Amino acid sequence: MKRTALAAVGILALLGWCQGALARSTIEELKARVVLDDYESNVLFGYNIVMETNKYGARYAGNGLNCTSCHLKGGTQPDAFPLNVAGVYPKWRSKNGVRNGIGLRIRDCFLYSLNGIMPPEEAPEVQAVAAYVHYLSEGEVIGKPPAHGGVPTLPDTGADPNPPRGATVYARVCAACHGRAGHGTAAAPPLWGPDSYNAGAGLNSVQRAAGFIWANMPVGNERSLTHQEALDVAAFLHLQLRPFDPRDAGLKKLAERIYYRLSKWMAKAQQ
Amino acid sequence: MTPAAYAALLLREALPDFSWHRRVDVWRELIAGLLGAALVIPQAITFAYLVGLPPETGLYCAVFVGLAASLFGNSAIVGGPNTAVSIMLSLAVMPFAGRGSPVYMEFVLALSLMVGVIQLGIWLLRGAEVFRYFSPAAIIGIKTGVGVLLITSALEGALGLSPLSTQFFYEKFYLVAVSWDELVNPYSAAIAAVTIATGLVLKRFWPRTYILAAVAVGSIVGAAIYLVQGPLVTQIELLGHVTFDPLPIRVPRLTPQHWLFMEAVVPQAIAIAVLGLAQTLVIARDLKARGAGNLDLHKEVLAQGIANTMSPFFSTFAGSGSFNRTSVAIEMGARTPLSGLVAAGAVVVFALAFGPLLTNLPMPAIAGVLALVGIGMIEAREARLLLRSRVEGAVFLLTLFTVTFLGLDVGILVAVLASVGFLLAGMSKVGFVVSHDGELERIAVSGNLFYASLDRLSRHLHATPAARTLLDLTRVPYCDAAANAMIEAVRRERHAHGGRLDLAPTGA
Repeated sequence: MKRTALAAVGILALLGWCQGALARSTIEELKARVVLDDYESNVLFGYNIVMETNKYGARYAGNGLNCTSCHLKGGTQPDAFPLNVAGVYPKWRSKNGVRNGIGLRIRDCFLYSLNGIMPPEEAPEVQAVAAYVHYLSEGEVIGKPPAHGGVPTLPDTGADPNPPRGATVYARVCAACHGRAGHGTAAAPPLWGPDSYNAGAGLNSVQRAAGFIWANMPVGNERSLTHQEALDVAAFLHLQLRPFDPRDAGLKKLAERIYYRLSKWMAKAQQ
Repeated sequence: MTPAAYAALLLREALPDFSWHRRVDVWRELIAGLLGAALVIPQAITFAYLVGLPPETGLYCAVFVGLAASLFGNSAIVGGPNTAVSIMLSLAVMPFAGRGSPVYMEFVLALSLMVGVIQLGIWLLRGAEVFRYFSPAAIIGIKTGVGVLLITSALEGALGLSPLSTQFFYEKFYLVAVSWDELVNPYSAAIAAVTIATGLVLKRFWPRTYILAAVAVGSIVGAAIYLVQGPLVTQIELLGHVTFDPLPIRVPRLTPQHWLFMEAVVPQAIAIAVLGLAQTLVIARDLKARGAGNLDLHKEVLAQGIANTMSPFFSTFAGSGSFNRTSVAIEMGARTPLSGLVAAGAVVVFALAFGPLLTNLPMPAIAGVLALVGIGMIEAREARLLLRSRVEGAVFLLTLFTVTFLGLDVGILVAVLASVGFLLAGMSKVGFVVSHDGELERIAVSGNLFYASLDRLSRHLHATPAARTLLDLTRVPYCDAAANAMIEAVRRERHAHGGRLDLAPTGA
């Protein structure tokens, strides 16, 4: 009897140890490790791109945003476009009318939300972010959308979104971090203007932006806005000037990009 | 040489030598340097693409490898990114890490460090002498083979394909020919075709700067297509933002993982080091033949070694001397390292000034440059000259075949073996003329007498043991121990059979 109990305890301890050993290393553990295999190093590179897109993904990024500006906390925060979605790709999307693999999905983000250049499918940056997405998706069910994915859909408030009211809410709640002119500060990313996402980005939809704002803003005091206030702010943001949609003709897009690069360069030269 | 004299010699070579300032023509050097910087930028981006690293690393290679090579060298040889070295770096690292990933970059840097250190070792061992035996046929064979490899590797970028990996290069052409309608992106193909066609046409009129013009025309066509159709329809790959840092200092990481990698690629590192030096020294030989400066080959080896050893500390990969840019510099009147120093500085200025414009450079135009450089390396005229001679033609074809079918590293080995083999075969030919003066047989020998060349003569001498022979060795420059032993044996045999063997002119 005693021996059986001892054996059971032993087996349980062994199982526990196995689980500990097999558990996914955290990003911090990966950073501290001296030797990484190709997958782990790729995950770490992907994490770095997501956190500091303008440093590690600079070749293809085109504005002042990083992936983590919208995929909050490196894509780990629920209801803020979490990145644990590897299991639901490939899937058809109405946006481009084709079946999207995770690679094309990531490349689209560079083109729209980051207002940059679409990297090729085999670009190391794309492969790295794909590896990071896979890493975050551990434990999810393949083919089943994860819980709290995307952003919540707000219920019908019974009233239309009202941009002027949104402007007052913006000034009261958002401007402290995002700046009065919406061009961002050290504490928060730009919301409109040349350094923000372009008109083709997913967040440029009032519905989606409202869900994101209600669930995640302001940081530290989330879900304090009413549904109607979130909708109003989203409508206000939607009316602001931002880079063109790259699906519209290329001329203005090309001129805009050259202007953007030159103005950045001028600003750097002036410093 | 005594150790002290050897050390003094090394020290004299290792210190940068600015004695060229007395013979410098500043204006000519300045213009050659500026033109060189303009020419190297598209090439640097292209070769970085070939290595599999971001474009700025190619620019760093042009700046820092070029700078070190000019600082420690004593000639107008232009150092920087090099086709063959780039291909071999990529091929060596590819089995160990995902192309372009941070680990891949660390491995390329570690390999570059190895290449530099091996080259420094070659300098210490006075290895420059060995490269004299590299036959021109083998060098042209390697160059032509690299040209073919370049055109093949340009194919994917030019046609907008995903990377195709095939065992032999011609399979790639076959795949494209069979299913071009599914694989080829017509927009990319059009840009690449325009770039290549422009280059080929303008090459006749502007032999120095045609690549720049081709890139410009290709980019304009690319921009036009982009304007009409937009990025989503055309799917044209663009270069992207080039983050040029004027001082990209970095300490190469050397963990146990890196040591394991370095242990595994020692043969490739040696091959790259040898290939890089071979190219630099062939350029040097060429410059000497043209009378463009008094070159010290050992010093050029050292300069290349230092440049490549330093390269990983400036976030870039190994390079070597560049055929095409050196010949442009020489044509523009450069005779001293000043042009190289000016070029390195000018690349920094150009990259900072025009960096924003490079962002929209279409990759098919870059692939077009790759193809143009490849076409430029295939020298049909020289190859035809070589094919007239049976031996040189054979070395050329053998090298070309191995490089294109078995890879550059095998190709270099075969090139060295074939050069040395045919050299020995040529040396081991011994002619002898037999004349009779009454009973006395006179044999006049010409050629080197050594273990490999004795056979025919010894058979002749042993055939008539009772004859009286006078062996005339006045036209034998070299006679080794085996030859002496053979002659001694024949003499003893003659003595036993009543014959005689005497050596002229002493008659001893």
